[in-house]
Amino acid sequence: MSKSKRTNLTLLLFCAPALIVYLVFKLIPAISGIGYAMTDWNGLSKDFDFVFLDNFIEVFSDKYFWQSVWFTFKYVAVMVVVANVVALLLAVAIESRRHGKGIYRTIYYMPNMISMVIGGYMWMFIFTQVLYYMADNWGFTFLDHSWIGDPRFSFWAIVIVSTWSMVGYLMIIYLAALQGVPADLIEAAELAGANSRQCFFKITLPMILPALTICVFWTLNSGFQVFDVIYSLTGGGPGRATQSVAMNIYEEAFRGNIRYGYATAKSTILFLIVMVITLIQLRVMKSREEEL
Amino acid sequence: MKKLFALLLALCMVFALAACGEEPAPEETGAPSTGEPSGEPVEAELNIMMSFPQFMDQWETYCDQFEQKMLEEENIKLTINLEMPSSGDYESVLQTRLTGDDAPDLFTLHSNNIATYYEAGHLTDLSNEPLAEKIYENVADMVTYDGKLLAVPIESQAWGPLYNKAIFEECGLEPPETLDELRNVVEVLEENGYTPFMLAFQEQWVPQLITALTLGGEVSGNLTDWVERMNAGEGSYTEMAEIFEVIDLIMEHGTDRAMETGAEAGAAAFANGEAAMFVQGTWASGTIMSTNPDMELGVFALPVNNDVGCTNINLSVSTTLAVHPSSDQMDLALKFANYVLDDEDSNALFEACSFNPLATCHTFEPASWVADANVYVEAGRSYKDLVLPTAVTDEQGRLLQEYYVGSVTADEMMARLDEVYAQAVSAAA
Repeated sequence: MSKSKRTNLTLLLFCAPALIVYLVFKLIPAISGIGYAMTDWNGLSKDFDFVFLDNFIEVFSDKYFWQSVWFTFKYVAVMVVVANVVALLLAVAIESRRHGKGIYRTIYYMPNMISMVIGGYMWMFIFTQVLYYMADNWGFTFLDHSWIGDPRFSFWAIVIVSTWSMVGYLMIIYLAALQGVPADLIEAAELAGANSRQCFFKITLPMILPALTICVFWTLNSGFQVFDVIYSLTGGGPGRATQSVAMNIYEEAFRGNIRYGYATAKSTILFLIVMVITLIQLRVMKSREEEL
Repeated sequence: MKKLFALLLALCMVFALAACGEEPAPEETGAPSTGEPSGEPVEAELNIMMSFPQFMDQWETYCDQFEQKMLEEENIKLTINLEMPSSGDYESVLQTRLTGDDAPDLFTLHSNNIATYYEAGHLTDLSNEPLAEKIYENVADMVTYDGKLLAVPIESQAWGPLYNKAIFEECGLEPPETLDELRNVVEVLEENGYTPFMLAFQEQWVPQLITALTLGGEVSGNLTDWVERMNAGEGSYTEMAEIFEVIDLIMEHGTDRAMETGAEAGAAAFANGEAAMFVQGTWASGTIMSTNPDMELGVFALPVNNDVGCTNINLSVSTTLAVHPSSDQMDLALKFANYVLDDEDSNALFEACSFNPLATCHTFEPASWVADANVYVEAGRSYKDLVLPTAVTDEQGRLLQEYYVGSVTADEMMARLDEVYAQAVSAAA
């Protein structure tokens, strides 16, 4: 066995536990889901009929599905930028501190450990009670908006809560990357007269590009699947104004007409969309890394 | 090397997202509790799922009583696992369990779903159980399908909007009988500095109640065959355009921040006198009375137009208890079903949950607001709750939210509802 093959095998073995779990609980259901997507199963009956591609054809004229796809794209676009910028800022700020790194790290990471459903309800209380209390009693009238009921504001409410919960995780990845930047490079640049901004953009940022790839990938992924924040915060409302694709699928499967087959067809389409986008993203960002 | 690792990691992550919404793998999840051999008269287990967490304490007590009773009478050491998912998630949890071959022995369901669940083979015929004799006839009708009694009715309501009797009395008002009278009530309340309606639209089932009552009112006195025609694809919501007069009246004269107010918060605010009327059912009385025990709660029939014949109270059976045919403790499950309408013990339970009496064994005195509603029922001024497809009911609530925030007009709403109705009818066919 050649050396490279051996290392590949070793790596595969390290991945195996996670890989097996993913195969059994994610990949196999996903593939069998494609079969269900071609049925009119209602999730309750013991028998159902094959309708082949009817469900997929129907998806294309489903106004609310595409509305939710559009909403999700908007959400992902905003989240990729906001979450990564905030996480990177936090990571740089913490890394540049002499004392108390551990405390700040813990504090900012904490929201990530809370279940998003609980976090969502906590923020719900803030948006529907605390902010109004502040508006009514302290004169902060700029807070007196319908944070949950008005789609313009509820979108930002959702972004705020998601950022709050997501940022800690991304921050840890960036922190690790920042610690890997060789100090001598920065020292050399400083000696050569670079100011701190130049140091960051010319040296630190290029050095942590691999971390950026992973973080953008992760935000893309979790962004496309967003469910729990919206579910606990606005429930997709008012009406369907803040409904993400995952919620639209959930609703199709478990509410109303209970159409499991049709919902599975929708989730297969979501799967394809996300796969294409993440593959493009990985290819683009990977190629930039290799230029270094 | 690093690339391979990253690729594998990436692959794993891509697979991770594939699973959303695609969980229907029936064979994998089943872990049914295996029944004890019948020779040993010791231990047994019953899994019960119910949809009213607000009555958790009452039902736990009742289950304890049943365990005690079984131990004394049958020498069975019974353990009841009582699950109560929140009412919003209940149906999805139940459906997952049923399709995953992990059905609870007994479970609650809405009486509107009895036909669907029966067709799917999830209900046991209870016609020959002792309980069947006791249920009032008009209630038994609502849990009977295909000539079989399929579920034990638990919650039955005679309901309409709630009002604060103290505020009405102070303003010298009587419950309105016609739309004009309702307008007058609104006007007088506002002159006296009261907000007429409590609006709590955060959860879509609450605004939906307005359509339940207005459509019901119209059907009871005016368009009696509307639901049948809708089911046959010959009706339209445009016939119901009148209901928007009431909807507008309620929305324009309600409390602020409706979208930020949940059902519970709304009930509490109503109990504290923040508004004089609340389009909610008698089931909210628990929260209201615990927030303000001195509250003088009343129920009236919501007028939809100036025809008193349409001003009626809604009579419905919501929660019922069914026995799953695959239960491996069928005997015990049926005993429990019968125990729910037990001659002695059920009175205390129904009274504690302020459920309405619905069987001959119920001898307790109903609460004052229940008695209010029963006055209408006894005068023949009630109608059977409309059975609309669930998708339509959900859509009504959602569209009313949108209508409230102004992102949809009445005409768009009616067109959309016609569309959803037609879809639901064809999906069920």
